Amino acid sequence: MAKTILIVDDSESIREVVNFTLVNEGYSVLVGEDGEDALKHLNGQTIDLVITDLHMPKKDGIELIREIRKMSDYQRIPILFLTTESQQAKKMEAKEAGATGWIIKPFVPAKLTAAISKVLR
Amino acid sequence: MENFKAKFKEEAFEHIADIEQALLNLEDNPENHELIEKVFRAMHSLKGGGAMFGFELLSDFTHDLETIYDLIRNSKLALSKSIFSLTLKSVDHIKTLVEASDNKLDDTTQEIHDSLINEIDEVVNQKSESAIDDAIRKSFEQSVEAVKHITYLITFSPHPDIFENGTNPLYLVDDIYNLGETLVLSDLSNVPAFDQLEPTKCFTSWKILLSTEHQQDDIKDIFMFVEELADIRIEKLSEGNLVKRKSFRKRVKDLVKEKGRAEIEDLLKITEQSGSSLADKVKKAINKTENKSNNAISSIRVSSDKLDELMNLVSELVTTQARLSLYAESKTSNELVSISENVQKLSRQLRDIAFSIVLVPIETLITRFHRLVRDLSHELGKEVAFRSEGTETELDKTIIENLTDPLLHMIRNSIDHGIESGDEREKKGKHRRGEILLKAFYSGANVVIQIIDDGAGIDIDYIRQKAIEKGLTTKDANLSKKDILDFLFAPGFSTAKRVTDVSGRGVGMDVVRQQISKIRGEIELDSELEKGTTVTLKLPLTLSIIDGLLVKVEETYFVIPLSAVEKIHAVEQEHLFKQFNDLVTLDNEQIPYLHLRKEFDLAKSENSTEQVIVITYEEKRVGLVVDSIIGEYQAVLKPLGKYYKNQDIISGATILGDGTVALVLDTNKTINQFAIQNV
Repeated sequence: MAKTILIVDDSESIREVVNFTLVNEGYSVLVGEDGEDALKHLNGQTIDLVITDLHMPKKDGIELIREIRKMSDYQRIPILFLTTESQQAKKMEAKEAGATGWIIKPFVPAKLTAAISKVLR
Repeated sequence: MENFKAKFKEEAFEHIADIEQALLNLEDNPENHELIEKVFRAMHSLKGGGAMFGFELLSDFTHDLETIYDLIRNSKLALSKSIFSLTLKSVDHIKTLVEASDNKLDDTTQEIHDSLINEIDEVVNQKSESAIDDAIRKSFEQSVEAVKHITYLITFSPHPDIFENGTNPLYLVDDIYNLGETLVLSDLSNVPAFDQLEPTKCFTSWKILLSTEHQQDDIKDIFMFVEELADIRIEKLSEGNLVKRKSFRKRVKDLVKEKGRAEIEDLLKITEQSGSSLADKVKKAINKTENKSNNAISSIRVSSDKLDELMNLVSELVTTQARLSLYAESKTSNELVSISENVQKLSRQLRDIAFSIVLVPIETLITRFHRLVRDLSHELGKEVAFRSEGTETELDKTIIENLTDPLLHMIRNSIDHGIESGDEREKKGKHRRGEILLKAFYSGANVVIQIIDDGAGIDIDYIRQKAIEKGLTTKDANLSKKDILDFLFAPGFSTAKRVTDVSGRGVGMDVVRQQISKIRGEIELDSELEKGTTVTLKLPLTLSIIDGLLVKVEETYFVIPLSAVEKIHAVEQEHLFKQFNDLVTLDNEQIPYLHLRKEFDLAKSENSTEQVIVITYEEKRVGLVVDSIIGEYQAVLKPLGKYYKNQDIISGATILGDGTVALVLDTNKTINQFAIQNV
């Protein structure tokens, strides 16, 4: 069965490029526009990986990661977050919150799939 | 090809004789260049021919040996006494390899093979290390692609809570594996006893020897996400590709066996060490095989009574072992538990081997069918060709014995009713000669046998009419094709318009079905008018012992064949009972379920959660709800006795370790029976 990945980002273009890449790789993809919106997918269905942006309106990425780690269904799923090279402090904060790893923006599709293959196969 | 192989073998023995003779002469005058040349050439031909005719082991082995003589003839290595005796031993081994045209060796020869390769390896490596001429050394190393490689020791000890952020450490080990040649040693010494084991924590750590062309940074990159979650050390062990060296691998493994773990100091010692000899061991092993090969017998005939007895004893052993496990569990002795686990493992292996002994290929039946088709088609003046596919498929001999009559009957049916006469076939635009195909193949834990003919097929409407006449159905019943074809299995149902000597006496398909279900098989018909008929038999691989899932409903134990079980879910009771249409959503799929308590007219259980066992049923999924799951169980099947003959859903019984009887549930029939009642 195809693995399911939830992408959370407030930028439509990022969502689209990630979606396109992942669907091409054979994953099945769910999309959330921000942390709040992402929660609607976290309803007990099988999700194998979450990829989330950090800066988002309503609920930001770090809060989302913290909440996911509290849900019994998703306590141990891998979570990757999108970050830029300069945000070292943010990176640590997200790791503290329970993220598995990160993907540095801007990224090419190959880098995205490489990062995913580190945590999912 | 076989011809060529035989030729090559003859040639090979000539070469071997040449080598032996040359070697014996060499012993007296080791400087004789011509003789060395001769040895080298003979080895070279063995290597080349071996590769061409599929003697891979021989070819690889002589390649290694040839390397030594290449060095000697180029005066880069002196022919020492030890090389001499090594060569003689190797030549003896080559004789074995020439006989092993299937590239398989038994354990003892494999051991000799490996240790000889190690020795040869050591001679060659020793040479490269003690070389006088640096340039030669370099060229040699290049030849084994060792120059750019560096061997690292990576110590990867994840913290116990590494799983908490969604990391799977095995993926990282896997990634290292992709970087080059690796030798992965896992350290389980921190894993606590089973009853204290916390499955959410990681207790394993790894030592990985990696020979790679990649930079150290590439290795670091793999651990990028887990730097704070694990202790990671990457240490350079040596230049060159150590992992590729067989002797090194062997030493590391020996070290781990001895000490239980490998520390860097020890590994470095191994790296420096060179050339300890395994000669004694090899000598012993060679003596052993010599004795053995003189009177080796590759197969023996055993009377089938003995085999039946063996199977019986194995069954009894499995039952007794269940008792032992139960007893061991009730005692708190760790040692007893581990002994009982060992006995369990052994009896399982013994069971598997005993099973494989009584497996017989379907091939054994085919000759009889050929004969039948030939005789019968002559008698009836029809032209029929018989073909078979997958006859290497193996089945329990008891099943094969019980299969002959039903299969004969079905083939007879096909020739008599199915295949038309030559003229008739031509009129229909078919080839004059009809065809019957017997096809056998494995499907999961079953063997499927199909009899496919390209005859007239079965007239569905005619069967329906006939069924109405016999009072088996009514005019306006809404029946599927499968339902109608099922009437053919009803007792006394013969559709033959004329009764011949061969078939159509009304005792037919119902008897066939009975015989098949006696060996726990199923039979099914499919047919298309004017195209032909297919009879499909689905048979279990074996009869006497099955792997089952032991479950409990109220106070009764049931065994569900493990081959049918797909998944088990724990579901809240209220969740099951508020569903009025008996559907439960599991893994995003709506699955119909049968509540066994309800079907057996028992009261609702007091547990708040119930177990739903998802079963595959005719390519669909159906859930069976039981009270609790006990665990996996090897069930020795016993018949139920004549009082219980008339029910379908229990196919047998088995005795548990404490003497209780558990009933073996035939899931297909259970679902069939109760599901139809419910509709």
